[in-house]
Amino acid sequence: MTILKDVPDDVLLRRASRGDEEAFTLVYRRHQAAIYRFALRMTGSAWAAEEIVQDVFMTLVRVPQKYDARLGTVSGFLYGVARNRVLKHRERLPREVALEERNEDGSGKGVLLQDASTPASWAEKRERTAQVRSAVLELPEEFREAVVLCELQELSYEEAAVAAGCPIGTIRSRLHRGRALLLAKLEMLREMPRRVSAAR
Amino acid sequence: MKFDRKKLLGLVETFGKANVVAMNCEEFAAIGLDPEQQGEFARAQQAAAREHSIACPSCAALAESWEAARVELRLLASSTSLAETPPRVEMRLRQEFRTRHQTLKTRRAAVVASWALAAAVLLAAGISWSTWRAQHYAKPAAVAGSLDSAVNHSSVAKSGAENSAPVADENATLVANNEQDGFTALPGAISADNEDASIVRVRMQRSSLGAFGLAVNEERAADWIQVDLLVGDDGLPQAVRVPEAQ
Repeated sequence: MTILKDVPDDVLLRRASRGDEEAFTLVYRRHQAAIYRFALRMTGSAWAAEEIVQDVFMTLVRVPQKYDARLGTVSGFLYGVARNRVLKHRERLPREVALEERNEDGSGKGVLLQDASTPASWAEKRERTAQVRSAVLELPEEFREAVVLCELQELSYEEAAVAAGCPIGTIRSRLHRGRALLLAKLEMLREMPRRVSAAR
Repeated sequence: MKFDRKKLLGLVETFGKANVVAMNCEEFAAIGLDPEQQGEFARAQQAAAREHSIACPSCAALAESWEAARVELRLLASSTSLAETPPRVEMRLRQEFRTRHQTLKTRRAAVVASWALAAAVLLAAGISWSTWRAQHYAKPAAVAGSLDSAVNHSSVAKSGAENSAPVADENATLVANNEQDGFTALPGAISADNEDASIVRVRMQRSSLGAFGLAVNEERAADWIQVDLLVGDDGLPQAVRVPEAQ
């Protein structure tokens, strides 16, 4: 595996298509996390994200010739396939409600926080993160995609455009509208507890 | 909401870097919040956005809200920043990869094997056919040969009668008498059905008869004689006959 470390993705894929399992594994390890996070952020469901990642790489196993190095990077190709899988997932389950992931004992998986806060602030942050997550998930598909790619995945506009299969200007405008919608939703979510407490 | 970038760039160039181009609320909403701007144009834009947000409280609030939203988005991103596909997915994929490529290898091997088998069958058929063909054409020749030998035998017999020396001519063809009488069974020979046995006339030294287990007159052991050998189906001589002339 160490010998193949610096080998470009397209070369690894060519080797994988000839039956080199090590090359395939390396491509998988390089890209799985990014694709998984994208799918997770787009669907809000860990099992759906897992299924999508499996589907994406299964495409590479079954039809490796689908990737054409002349048309773009492996990463862009994988994002493109993942995007299609996310759309299919949404079509298949239009009324699916993302449930919070739970551990085997039934407790919530929780949020990975970098800082050690007090329990109260931790709970507040967690609640706010859940609100932001649901606000992102409620965005229309194309705007959500732009927000996830540019704001959460931190891709450049160019990379996001490749992943979404659209011109860079389209990504820019989708992101702009996505931000506006997200802001409105977040404002609404912020206002809601205040209104509830005022009504009491 | 439409914003003419070329127009703004033109204005920046016209008024110089120091001059900040005025930005309205629509333009601020469209590009003032965009972090991914680079170069001269971006610097001019950012300066214009700053100027506008100082002058316009609603846009300042918008920028503030967006900054807060960005922080929250970062928090959301960090909550899943360590998320990775469970190891079972890699296991499944590798299994599928192995199965797929082994199946392909097996298929290729099966194809090669079937071609090899077909080639072997063809080769065997070719060899069988050529053998059959050789045997088929050899039989009439053998029949013709036996007929010839019968004719030659009579001529040799005639010449033997005339010259009273049947082996006078060294180049004469050795032709056996097809009659099977007068043969002496060789010691140790297994008597079998002699219908398919053939008679072969050979020229040998008399001493060679000793090799068949026959008694040889030592005084005449070096003499060359012609003998008829009765050769069985198994290719072994079963009996011997010394033609009468000798």
